[in-house]
Amino acid sequence: MPRSFEDVVLPHLDAAFNYARWLTKNDADAEDVVQDAYIRALRFFSSLRDENARAWLFTIVRNTWYGRFPRRTGSAVVNVPDEDFEHRPDVGLDPEAQMIQQQTVEQVRRALETLPADYREVLVLRELEGLSYKEIAAIVEIPIGTVMSRLARARERLTGVLVPAN
Amino acid sequence: MECREVEDLLGACLDGELEPALATSVRGHADTCTTCRQRLANLESIGRMVRHAPYYQAPAGLRAQVIHARARSAATPHWLAWAAAAVVVASLTGSIVFVTSATRAARALDPVDAVAQEVVSSHVRALMAAHLFDVQSTDQHTVKPWFLGKLDFSPPVTDLAQAGYPLTGGRLDYLAGRPVAALVYTRGQHAINLFVWPEASNAVRSSDARALRGFHVRHWVRGGMSYWAVSDVNDADLDRFVLALQQ
Repeated sequence: MPRSFEDVVLPHLDAAFNYARWLTKNDADAEDVVQDAYIRALRFFSSLRDENARAWLFTIVRNTWYGRFPRRTGSAVVNVPDEDFEHRPDVGLDPEAQMIQQQTVEQVRRALETLPADYREVLVLRELEGLSYKEIAAIVEIPIGTVMSRLARARERLTGVLVPAN
Repeated sequence: MECREVEDLLGACLDGELEPALATSVRGHADTCTTCRQRLANLESIGRMVRHAPYYQAPAGLRAQVIHARARSAATPHWLAWAAAAVVVASLTGSIVFVTSATRAARALDPVDAVAQEVVSSHVRALMAAHLFDVQSTDQHTVKPWFLGKLDFSPPVTDLAQAGYPLTGGRLDYLAGRPVAALVYTRGQHAINLFVWPEASNAVRSSDARALRGFHVRHWVRGGMSYWAVSDVNDADLDRFVLALQQ
């Protein structure tokens, strides 16, 4: 069965944008990066051999971002205000629960954005994209053991910020 | 095991990334050690919180630009295509490429593989058209009766909220040449589509795993029903989903 770009790569546009948005921390850069990444993906589509198109696309998004800003470590970048980010609260929650949920979302977003970029990306790939350590290792080009230790450090920091001491 | 060793493994244990034997000893230690049990609970709650972080969706303008870029590239000049063909024919690797694509084509003819392709396409269609539900409910007693009269069978519907995979609804779909039940579960921000229809034979097939186009797929046959689960959650999470469903 012939696989077309539309079938294989286009369905992962949201995932690519989400990942780019967490890498760049603002909408404008994320859009630029994803647009460039898709042009590269088009060019290299014929070289996509294995079936994991999503992980392949993440690698391209990441290379596009760091290729364009090689020195960027993501720790001190300008932050664009985020009033416009779309978050739909779960249906069926009462207004109070909804408000609490929105506050948590905002708190988590801030906590994630203040993490060092290296920590943030492994956490986003793991928790929001559900990738395995092996897939993350391939995208970020680090050993699996490093994926594990970065995740542990990232979670440790978040625990300090988000979980009340007990 | 000592706390010191266990501490470093707790995260990987929750992520389902440890060898089963090691995971058992880590959990065994956490059962008896209050500190590690607390650490594990903290990690679980961090995981739940992070999975509620915003999932940024691509703006419509970006989607349009990407589709436009694709359309332009599809109109590749003819001489380029001819040049590419000439290179393929001229090189030795060219013949290898032809052979592998021929075996690929042969494999695609396998009926189970063909259904797998359909299942993934249906999952993608539902997500892209944002048409996941005909009936949206977290209550299995609402979802199951909804299928009555719409299908010539009654799909088993179980809520798996306890296991971390809440049921969110269902819809009718058309797969493998027949109407089927599609049940939608979620894991964090990700949807899992579970397709169910009666199996003609009485064969029992244990879960077989495959990955297609960046999605994970599981297929099994049980109790006269054919099941297909598809999602972009990771392998371990999808396996746990299948296990929870089979219990």
